Amino acid sequence: MTAAERVLRTLTIAACGLLFFLPLWWVTVSAVRPQEEIFAFLSPLSPWTLWPRNVTLAHVVELWSGPFARAIFNSMYVTVVTVVIGLVISAKAGFALAVLPFRFREGVFVVIVVSFLIPFDAIALPLFGIMRGYGLQNTYTGLILPGIGNGLAVFLLRQFFLGIPRELREAAMIDGMGWFGIFWRIYVPLSVPALISAGLILFVFQWQAYLWPLIIAPAPDYKVAAVAIAQFSDFYGTNYSLIFAGSFFVSIIPMLVLVVFQRFFAASIATSGSKD
Amino acid sequence: MDRLRQPLTILAFLGPALLAVVLLRLWPAVFAVDLSLRPPRGEGYSLENYQFIFTDPQFLNSLVVTAIYSLIVNPLQIAIALALAVLMNVAVPLIGLWRTMVLLPVAIPQSVSAVVWGVGLRPDGPVNALVQALGFEPQRFLTSPDQALASIILIVSWIGVGYWMTFLLAGLQEIPRTLYEAARIDGASRWQQFRYVTLPQLRRTLTFVLVANTVANFLVFAPVQILTQGGPQGSTNLIMNEIYSQGFVIGDARSAAAATVVLVSFVLAVVSIQFRMMRAPEDEER
Repeated sequence: MTAAERVLRTLTIAACGLLFFLPLWWVTVSAVRPQEEIFAFLSPLSPWTLWPRNVTLAHVVELWSGPFARAIFNSMYVTVVTVVIGLVISAKAGFALAVLPFRFREGVFVVIVVSFLIPFDAIALPLFGIMRGYGLQNTYTGLILPGIGNGLAVFLLRQFFLGIPRELREAAMIDGMGWFGIFWRIYVPLSVPALISAGLILFVFQWQAYLWPLIIAPAPDYKVAAVAIAQFSDFYGTNYSLIFAGSFFVSIIPMLVLVVFQRFFAASIATSGSKD
Repeated sequence: MDRLRQPLTILAFLGPALLAVVLLRLWPAVFAVDLSLRPPRGEGYSLENYQFIFTDPQFLNSLVVTAIYSLIVNPLQIAIALALAVLMNVAVPLIGLWRTMVLLPVAIPQSVSAVVWGVGLRPDGPVNALVQALGFEPQRFLTSPDQALASIILIVSWIGVGYWMTFLLAGLQEIPRTLYEAARIDGASRWQQFRYVTLPQLRRTLTFVLVANTVANFLVFAPVQILTQGGPQGSTNLIMNEIYSQGFVIGDARSAAAATVVLVSFVLAVVSIQFRMMRAPEDEER
């Protein structure tokens, strides 16, 4: 590449990045400007279209003192519990499938693989039909359960555990360590990157969930943020300031998680995408 | 090895996950098949629900809409994702930042993206402001039967393109540089390098992206349910929205189950094609 080509390519890349970022920037700006200015600087376009002329945090305060605060709390609670429980049971299952010798190992592995080939949203309605019968509507349990049975997380961890040399566990067994010790003291500490990747899968699944929470937890006390934001007009009419402030807070949490853990996110992509 | 305690150990490790996966993923699928085969009235099993949905104009329309949508959105997203991946596969200042900016929309819940774009595409919203600034008439977007599906495609593409780009970037970075050097020595142009080195080397990644993207697009729900409810005039009634309105708005759980079985069959068919295509002839010869 010549120097001119390089500059041109850099500018094109930056323009593409900014183009994708533009709607998010607009959300952020609209969240902190007075409501009457949200549509004020559009015709003709001006610098004030993309920069707040007046900044106010009034509706951010209003947002956090209203029912939406509860929805954000619900999302956080449900997501954290999902990630913690989901990681524990997925890691244990991945360990069993990678390390423990038992008879139906291949068969169980096939069951796990088939389970994540069926997309969850496709079977959400039949699952609702089942769960409603057990009184799980409008409960945290009902919201959390589908998130913890994640075959992809089990698969990812199994693949990683398979790569840990067996000499390590053989040495530990000679020292008298049991399977739980081997799992907890050897496999888990060696697998932090894979655990983060699996944790991200569980996190994204639960934070993004829309159809399932929409049907299993419609009551205001259990409504999660992704659903509440879609029903904003029920709470606030057409108060766009609050809609943007809500969108900002629902988005900023996963965006920060993505930026912080991007390295591991890319790693999980590499395992599921280009390898066997 | 302690024979007595061994099954308990396995159960302790494997039990919870296996139970969760079977009860929360596989059982509902079996339950849906069973429910879909129960006739609306009477006992036993029959294909009545399938007969009903395959003669129901609204369901048939949703299949047509989903087919048209898939035929446009998948090639479009993959072409853009591939172009972006090739463009961004270079070490320029702040490249990580620019890539992250393209990827960020995928982190946001789809319902939030739908709400935000819903405001953006309002008749007096910023997208129309831009359209007018470029000298065109303002458009109706989501309220027009001719433009609503295209608007949904715009929204889901903004969400998803960066995600698929990330896979393709990973694939591009695995292509050995020596292949390009050899091609250049043979006098290959940029286009020829792309056509005869990049594309063949990227085949596995592209196949994966094509299949995963197709499945993801079969399942698009939140933008449709939030912004158009399948309208105007059924023009955006994608299959997930049809299943939802069949099951929840109309309350016909058995027809919804039949439609679910049709959808899951489609998905499994697409995935099994992937497994075939991943094993291309040249791999087997090795």
